[in-house]
Amino acid sequence: MNRKGIALAWALVVCLLLAHNAYLWLDKHIVPDTDILNLLPVQERDPLLQQSFTHMVDAAQQRVVVLIGAPDWADAKRAADAYGAVLAKQPNLLQAMPLTENTESDWLAEFQQHRLLLLSADQESKLQSQPPGFWVTSALAQLNSPFAGPKLGAWRDDPFDLFGGWVRERSQETPVRPRDGHLFVADANQQYVLLPLTLQVPAFSISAQQAVLPLLAQADAAARQLVPQVEIIKAGVILHAAAAGEQANREVSTIGIGSLIGIILLMWITFHSFKPIAMILLSIGIGCLGSFSVCWLLFGRIHLLTLVFGASLIGVAQDYGIYFLCNRLSADSKLDSVTLLKRLMPGLLLTLLTTVIGYMGLALTPFPGLRQMALFSAFGLVFAWLTVVCWFPLMIGGGGLASGALVRVYGAAPVHWPLLRMNKATFGAVMLFIVLAVIGCARLGANDDIRLLQNPPAHLVSDQIKLSKLLDSPTPVQFFLVRGSSAEMVLQREEQLKKRLDPLIAQHKLSGYQALSNWVPSMQTQEARRSLLEEKILKDGSALTQLAAQLGEDPAWATTTRARLLEAGQPLNLDTFLASKASEPWRYLWVGAIDDTYASIVALRGTSSASLPALQQAGTGLEGVQWVDKVGEISSVLGRYRQYMGWVVLCSYLVVFGLLYPRYRGNAWRVLAPAAVASIATLALLGLIGQDLQLFHVLALMLLLGVGVDYGIFMHEHPKRGDTTPWLAVGLSAANTILSFGLLGLSKTPALQAFGLTMLIGTALVWILVPCFGKEN
Amino acid sequence: MKKRLFLSLCLVACISAQAAAPIAKIQQMLAKPKVLCGRFDQSKQLNGLKKPLASNGRFCVVAGKGVLWRTLQPFPSTLRLTRDEIVNFQGDRVAMRLDAKQEPTVRMINSVLFAMLAGDLAQLDTLFEVDGDADASHWHVALKAREPALAKAIGAIALDGDSYVKNIAINDASGDRTTIVFSAIQAGDSAMLPEEAALF
Repeated sequence: MNRKGIALAWALVVCLLLAHNAYLWLDKHIVPDTDILNLLPVQERDPLLQQSFTHMVDAAQQRVVVLIGAPDWADAKRAADAYGAVLAKQPNLLQAMPLTENTESDWLAEFQQHRLLLLSADQESKLQSQPPGFWVTSALAQLNSPFAGPKLGAWRDDPFDLFGGWVRERSQETPVRPRDGHLFVADANQQYVLLPLTLQVPAFSISAQQAVLPLLAQADAAARQLVPQVEIIKAGVILHAAAAGEQANREVSTIGIGSLIGIILLMWITFHSFKPIAMILLSIGIGCLGSFSVCWLLFGRIHLLTLVFGASLIGVAQDYGIYFLCNRLSADSKLDSVTLLKRLMPGLLLTLLTTVIGYMGLALTPFPGLRQMALFSAFGLVFAWLTVVCWFPLMIGGGGLASGALVRVYGAAPVHWPLLRMNKATFGAVMLFIVLAVIGCARLGANDDIRLLQNPPAHLVSDQIKLSKLLDSPTPVQFFLVRGSSAEMVLQREEQLKKRLDPLIAQHKLSGYQALSNWVPSMQTQEARRSLLEEKILKDGSALTQLAAQLGEDPAWATTTRARLLEAGQPLNLDTFLASKASEPWRYLWVGAIDDTYASIVALRGTSSASLPALQQAGTGLEGVQWVDKVGEISSVLGRYRQYMGWVVLCSYLVVFGLLYPRYRGNAWRVLAPAAVASIATLALLGLIGQDLQLFHVLALMLLLGVGVDYGIFMHEHPKRGDTTPWLAVGLSAANTILSFGLLGLSKTPALQAFGLTMLIGTALVWILVPCFGKEN
Repeated sequence: MKKRLFLSLCLVACISAQAAAPIAKIQQMLAKPKVLCGRFDQSKQLNGLKKPLASNGRFCVVAGKGVLWRTLQPFPSTLRLTRDEIVNFQGDRVAMRLDAKQEPTVRMINSVLFAMLAGDLAQLDTLFEVDGDADASHWHVALKAREPALAKAIGAIALDGDSYVKNIAINDASGDRTTIVFSAIQAGDSAMLPEEAALF
């Protein structure tokens, strides 16, 4: 095919890519995704479990909670009012929960018809164990006490304080109390106003973050101006998302810009011309735009971390251009570029194939984010490669390049490099390597903590800890999922689970639980309670008639009171409760039904990592009850895939060897060995400096294979010792890779840092080792 | 409901209240002993019951510590309110214990209570509208909660007395009426019986 035709066709493709990118960025105003959860594997196996987690996350995602504290309640109120006033100016961003003086009586009204059957756990067990006389005594004691506690309506509607006891038990589910039209919570030193806010914009939208964070800062300042000693504690997914986004943004610019400056500088030193630089940048640019387009078409979104990772793509995408240009530099100026390219084609094709295979290894993981990164990188490389192949020969002719003195000095260096031969020195070096590798690798531990993926700023973490201590709110990542073939069965199973959890509360392994059956007992329980009440309280001769006699009332009084109580004994069902206003804070516990299976969540408060095994144990053996530990699960997935990816790396070596063998035959091992030796040495070094092995080290080893094989191919395409061309290409490429990945090692995200560090050490080692595996002339 | 509890506890504080209006004058009339004990007679008329419920017993107010309310008739039951908890004794048995960790309003209730005992009228004024009058030896005060929800829940409270609070009357919205009469008031460390002192 005609060279010009190919170049034109490629130009057409590039135009399409440009147009698509312009449309995405300028017309659709797309923003990269910053939700860290999208990087986690999807729970494809269990839709109800998946939905329960979405429930917990969705309930939490749009919430922002602010606590405003001062030693003096009046100060706290003043500061909170100032804070709220600032937020009220922009109700389209954050909305405060409306709190009226009737909130409380409104929600009590919802239970009035059912109050007879609502009992606290303690009262229920006392009804079982105590005789009617016990209830007469306690009713009289309460009547005589001047501060017997709250009254929720007329005394005659609840003479034995049973509904009252249930309401008190419910109020223990949160330490937050209404006070002077505010929500109040306190510890030993501070009194806090609680401001529960609902985000009106998506938490993960960058534009929302850019609007909400300054507003919160402004509110902070207003509160602080009024009450200088005020303590402000904030928590919300949006704060974490903004911090993560900001960090990634910062890193994308440092890594991207650092890498670019590095490349430009090196190219200038090598070629003394801006033309090669422009050409390389062109190939990288087309690679990035192209992969962005393809990723958007495939996924409909792109994650910011993909772009961070993509920034390091620059380090690899340059290889093809550099290889071509270095060969152009040293080739006879009479040789035309198209013929030169034809000569280089086998090597170029192999470098692309091996590197893309390296990246495709990442696509085998179940992490959607990693798959995206893998495809982004692979397509980026293909587009950059095509740009080099289609355009470069036409852009630069023979004699277009010159080099400087520094390049000649560097190029001459490999002649003095030691070669591996069958001699004592080689034997000694191999033995030393083996010993160090064994010692280093033996010291490698493993770490699969989910926190590797995200590293929130310390102040957010400490605020979060303080907040959950004060509010005693349930953890969104560990809970029980309860299933059944009907809502009634779910409630019954919840009740069985609660019986197992109650002893753990007594042992202080958790402070409490939230469950729908706390509010709506199962019909079975409601029936049992009704007969229990009938026997101990309502029936003629039991507590009610005894109480009437003690109070000097006639039997008719007991009859009317009994009728009043029974009137309020209508069974409460789940649907009624879920439709009521009172259920609003608890609705998230109801997962709903999928394929005739109903499910609910029993959320846990005040757990600690030490109590998790006991909690997990509490759920075992109960039908339909499943312990869900998202943190543990993600860690175990990270761990499983660390091991799994290790095997993928090993298999890739075999595949790459298979690809290399037809061309290099007996020397194929020399192409592959530098990458393998560097990888082992890197692992040993990581072990010696005390790093724990994680998935991201292994992923880097995969990439290192791709990069290392490139260098091996460069060298063995020009097997003559003293030929400076491949050595120059390796040097330029390795230096750039180190620059880009080395900067990735500066990332604050532990995962990226591990990846960067591995690439830094590994690439440097490959660079140093690659001439040692050359053949003797 | 917590508001109810809160307010009924505020009443205890009012037993020795130094809060009234004209505030300054009443405050001058009130003795402020460190320890104050006496007899109470309580009568409750509940909506739906023909006969009023009568009870009596002893009470003690100790500055900086708390309040003891010992019902002796018709049967013994003791309530102790301190900074961080509220405890109900039925004989020696603890029938109910509510601490500040469990129920944050406990500390708030008690801090208001102690503010009242210390004669911190500004604090009382933040919660109640205080309306009253006083002559040379006697005073009368009506308290109305500032917050409408509280006012609705607790109804009207009236106090009267001389150097001590002598009568409390509460008329709540549901039609229940409570009156408490204090007598045989003694002040000073000797006012407390040994078994009462033992409870603090």
